Amino acid sequence: MQPPGEEMLVERACRGDPAAFEELVLAYQSLAFRTAFVIAGDAADAEEAAQDGFVKAHRALRRFRRGQPFRPWLLAIVANEARNRRRSRGRRAALALRAAAEPGGAGNDPEEAALAAERRERILTAVERLRDDDRDVLACRYLLELSEDETAAALGIARGTVKSRTHRALSRLEEELR
Amino acid sequence: MTDLELGLRDVAAHLDFPPTPALLGGVVARLDRRRHRRRGLALAVAIGVAALAVAFAVPASRASLLRFFHVRGATVSVIDGLPPLTSHRSLGQPIPLDTAAFRLLLPSGRRPESVHAADGGYWLRYPGLLLFEFQSGGGPEVLKKATLGKTKVEYVQVRGEPGIWIGGRHALYLPGGPPVAAGRALIWQHGPLTLRLEAAVGLERALAIAQSVR
Repeated sequence: MQPPGEEMLVERACRGDPAAFEELVLAYQSLAFRTAFVIAGDAADAEEAAQDGFVKAHRALRRFRRGQPFRPWLLAIVANEARNRRRSRGRRAALALRAAAEPGGAGNDPEEAALAAERRERILTAVERLRDDDRDVLACRYLLELSEDETAAALGIARGTVKSRTHRALSRLEEELR
Repeated sequence: MTDLELGLRDVAAHLDFPPTPALLGGVVARLDRRRHRRRGLALAVAIGVAALAVAFAVPASRASLLRFFHVRGATVSVIDGLPPLTSHRSLGQPIPLDTAAFRLLLPSGRRPESVHAADGGYWLRYPGLLLFEFQSGGGPEVLKKATLGKTKVEYVQVRGEPGIWIGGRHALYLPGGPPVAAGRALIWQHGPLTLRLEAAVGLERALAIAQSVR
């Protein structure tokens, strides 16, 4: 979600106001960290990637085109940092996400809840088995709920490629689940 | 939306991401270092240690810098080797509590055994507890600390303001002095002040003391 007055904050940050940039960091640190996490697959790498991403974004503010949305621009920088870390590790990182425990609240059918939890686990495991580019596009679109434009920016690909890759990744995921 | 897409959305709603670390302190510290480098601050030289210099204060071991933590007026550098430390810390002659340049904050409102004006701030000595308070509005950093990678260092919040907990032995750099050995410490912002509490207590107790200052 865009923080209130984002355009003004970005404008002030571009003019060198440190407080404005700090507010942008606070507004986007969670999204930046999560994006880096789904790509790098490791919390420590994600923390470094997000921090480096913010520092590099600050350096690049002079090149930021005024009036453009800030969020996809930032995500592109952070995701690039996360991909670099994944590459430098030289192996495919596990997604390392766990389905949160479902509280057995009143009114919940325990059998239904168990089945739902099992289904989530199956989907996650299947996503994890996909190749990196398929997994990344699904993680951005469905797990982080990024828009097509934001996914395109984060993955450094065209919007049309996001569509075709998502379609392909969903087909492969379906096969994995059979 | 297909069943599979709905399933993925359902997974997203139940994901357990690791908690987001507080990134702001590290980002600000790194941007500050860049600004300081660019300006070539004579003041930074005058106080003897720039942030990176803390990490390289050990010529023999060439300690490498692993991580930074920052709150206003203080930086903690996590390095892989500490310099030789002195345990001597002379605080000078005590002064009356009410002669400080700003109103000193007291844990639970209790008066300290003694108050000392030194190192750009005030030291308040209590049995088993040493408190340092200074005004930290926009000036150079007063406190610099270096700690080993194995020592637990983390960001905390004290009454909604940022703080840093150092869970073990570390080097304390004060303006113009040699690195001093220090134990567990909590540093936090409180309005225009930055406070540092050192005591042989755990994080929970340190936070309780910090929250009691008034």
